[in-house]
Amino acid sequence: MSILSSKLQMPLLRPDLVQRSRLIDYLNAGLYRKLTLISAPAGFGKTTVASTWIAQSNYPTAWLSLDGRDNDSARFLRYIIAAIQRIDADIGQLASEVLQAGQQSSIEAVLTSLLNEIAVIPDDFWLVLDDYHLLESPEIDDALRFLLEHLPAQMHLVIITREDPQLPLSRLRVRDQLTELRVADLRFTVDEAAEFLNHAMGLTLSAQDIDALEKRTEGWVAGLQLAALSLQGRTDATDFIQAFTGSHRFIVDYLLEEVLHRQSETMREFLLYTSILGQMNGSLCDAVTQRNDSQKVLEVLERSNLFVIALDDERGWYRYHHLFGDALYNALNNEYPEHIPVLHRWASDWYVKQGQLQEAIEHALLANDFKQAADLIETIWPKMDENYQSGQWFEWASRLPEAVVLNHPILCLGYGWVKLLHGDLDMAEIWFQRAERWLDAPSEQHKQMAVIDQRLFEELPASICHARGYRALTMGDIQTAVQFAAQSLRLNRHHDHPNYGRGLVLHGLAQLANGDLIKADQTFSDFTAYMEAAGNIMDATELVFIIGDIRITLGRLHDAYHAYNNAFQFLARQGNPSVIGLEDLYRGIADVYLMRNQLVLAEENLLAAEELGEQGIIRPNWQSRLYATQAQLEIAQGDFATALQLLHEAEQQLVPTPVFLNHSIHALKARVWIRQGKLDVAQRWARQQGLSPDGDITYLREYEYLTFTLLQIALYQAQPSDILRTSTHNLLDRLYATTHDSGRIAHVIEVFILRALMYTAQHEIPLALNALHQALVLAEPESYIRLFVDGGQPIADLLREAEAQVIMPNYVHQLLAAFDAPTPPPPAAQALIDPLSDRELDVLRLLHTDLSGPEIARQLVVSLSTMRTHTRSIYSKLDVNNRRAAVRRAQELALL
Amino acid sequence: MNEEQGTYTIRIKGHLSEQWATRFEGMTMTFTEEGETHLTGTLADQSALHGLLRTVRDSGLELLAVNRVDGE
Repeated sequence: MSILSSKLQMPLLRPDLVQRSRLIDYLNAGLYRKLTLISAPAGFGKTTVASTWIAQSNYPTAWLSLDGRDNDSARFLRYIIAAIQRIDADIGQLASEVLQAGQQSSIEAVLTSLLNEIAVIPDDFWLVLDDYHLLESPEIDDALRFLLEHLPAQMHLVIITREDPQLPLSRLRVRDQLTELRVADLRFTVDEAAEFLNHAMGLTLSAQDIDALEKRTEGWVAGLQLAALSLQGRTDATDFIQAFTGSHRFIVDYLLEEVLHRQSETMREFLLYTSILGQMNGSLCDAVTQRNDSQKVLEVLERSNLFVIALDDERGWYRYHHLFGDALYNALNNEYPEHIPVLHRWASDWYVKQGQLQEAIEHALLANDFKQAADLIETIWPKMDENYQSGQWFEWASRLPEAVVLNHPILCLGYGWVKLLHGDLDMAEIWFQRAERWLDAPSEQHKQMAVIDQRLFEELPASICHARGYRALTMGDIQTAVQFAAQSLRLNRHHDHPNYGRGLVLHGLAQLANGDLIKADQTFSDFTAYMEAAGNIMDATELVFIIGDIRITLGRLHDAYHAYNNAFQFLARQGNPSVIGLEDLYRGIADVYLMRNQLVLAEENLLAAEELGEQGIIRPNWQSRLYATQAQLEIAQGDFATALQLLHEAEQQLVPTPVFLNHSIHALKARVWIRQGKLDVAQRWARQQGLSPDGDITYLREYEYLTFTLLQIALYQAQPSDILRTSTHNLLDRLYATTHDSGRIAHVIEVFILRALMYTAQHEIPLALNALHQALVLAEPESYIRLFVDGGQPIADLLREAEAQVIMPNYVHQLLAAFDAPTPPPPAAQALIDPLSDRELDVLRLLHTDLSGPEIARQLVVSLSTMRTHTRSIYSKLDVNNRRAAVRRAQELALL
Repeated sequence: MNEEQGTYTIRIKGHLSEQWATRFEGMTMTFTEEGETHLTGTLADQSALHGLLRTVRDSGLELLAVNRVDGE
């Protein structure tokens, strides 16, 4: 989104303004309070007082002039960040990133990031929101309330508005946190009126006349100003004032008519025609008034204090004072209503020439020029979609008549995507068909079709395929998704187009779901390399954890590690930006360390992942992925109870997305039950999941079937039978065939280990050793360790046998050492050697809630890093390594 | 009559010029000797009423009273 810099510019002051020192003093006296509220009707000089005050104070100021479009909360937040960046350009980088995550990030998450970043601004500064009454969104009111509740000490908020904001004003008053300037304060006193009329406006009125004007206008500066303009150059001032004060007519009507009457016809037209513009500069006014001297006119208007406010000293942007602008528009609407659409059309054309499509669209819609509007809305679609602004886009698109949309295939496609992103899968398909209809339409119908960017139309078949593939994957229909993804890529000829990248991701996800891991790895790696080369940080790191997962399964542990290491190095080269998804890199590399049984490294990276994840940046299923990896660390350390609790929570929070987890969570749970000897519970799981010895083994169920086989072996061990032996070997043979043929080496290793376990249960030790040897051969080059250690005592015994027979002695020795490494016994319920401090107990109690890290920090009124220091100290004293385990341990110790 | 509909009179300080007829479309303007303008008309629902009040606010008009006059 382009930021209009004029919205961030504090209105410029005329040097001859009235000094309202009583108001300035009052405002200065209230500076220690959080909020200054300037609330009064239109035309009472609110903005002028605020900008005079701020200009005199010399505090750094972030100014934001709001307009109706800021009701879109994403846009509102972008502008807040942009305004604050005028003070310090480095602030708000992370918040912008969070905002980029689109629908997935909440307003609070963005504000939390922003507040954390603001904490580093050393000096006091102000954020001013002008024309706050234009915002009607409850979401934004909530955002402001949140901001106010967590306002850093050095930040001061100023709200200028025509109506009181939906904030807890009475509470702020009671707490002495609110300074208010209201209409009674803003009315001009007789002295101020005198100074304004006779000094600023250059009149020479008697005290009596001034008194009469002050009474008639009730100190309303808009009325005083109009009166002064009507009086300039008159010789009969007193008569005029008597007639005016004796009239019941509305002040603006009376005086504006007077002022307009005294302008030349061309000036009058200028004022009326340009009243359709929210803001204006010379060139834009030239376009709307068909003249070529508008810049001069604007300067004259500004000098003579005639309605305009300068917004920007460099580029010459102005706007009408709202009240006068409205009154002028009112007059235009009465005199030349038929001109209004034409004027908007000219404004739209001008903005098109400037490349400012958003403003061009607004004016085209106001001109009821739906053809131009539709063309522009179509042109802007790819960019807005990329920037997660489909909400704003749809707001425009839905103002178009449906007949117009139907003639624009690209708009139909956009409509379909918006429906898809909002989960309305049926309507999405209907719109895709409406787009598609044009592809097969006979050529004589093509005259009715509207297409701006021929290339987008050429890509339409590919784009529709891609959209349908995404839809199918969301519905879990993998086969269809695979077909659409492949077709979309075949059809996509422009490799530099963003659509191609997205098609690639979809293609990879479908390949992955289909079990083509080698191809999926290639697809994602190509995408990542391409995005790295393009310097696109978020895209370049987004898929790395999936690549890592794939390579672990493919038996390429070194390559998995390199994927993460490359990503970290890439980020370092980019100056280590805070990027969404960083937490998944730390979590994913912990998976690699776990496989190598490097538990300390796994634990450190998981702690970092947990902390990053607490910062409110949420990608789908992050929490489930984190819990699942944490659970595997707990399993490695022998704490099965905590592992089961983590897995339970991971399962609770899992939502369906096109990105599947590496291991089914319920299968991980079943493995724990089997190791605990709870075979009946595991059998119930197998029945619920519909697992049977002759069941169909697809890739997505492979891990479940490996687990199921482990259960069968445990059952055979408990009660041997021929049937069970035959069916287990049959399962193992089928698993070997499917894993081996598709190159999923880690799963092949598991199959060999399972075979070794089965033969051990059959007391066929030479066969068991042979199977183990095959596993060792495959596992040794990549140093897989955990897979063996999880096999338990029977595998340890076999390894000792291997050691005796001098089979692969170095590796076997390494594996045996891993078995010997003391796993910390589950802590007994005993008093802590180093007791928790009171503050740590406070933190601990909040860890036992659903609050996120930043929420806890706010509740305790400490910074996030202080809160982390407490958390780390608690973990260390309780001898745990994650939040759930801390809570569990604390419950055992009756600390909660 | 639609039950959301209602007839209202809105009292505003000062006599408005005829130009306001387009801005307050559908409302009848009458002027009192005390210098008030009364806008009377039927509004579709509450949000139509609030929209009208917003116009009053943004035009710098002084709102004196809002009355429902259709016997509700």
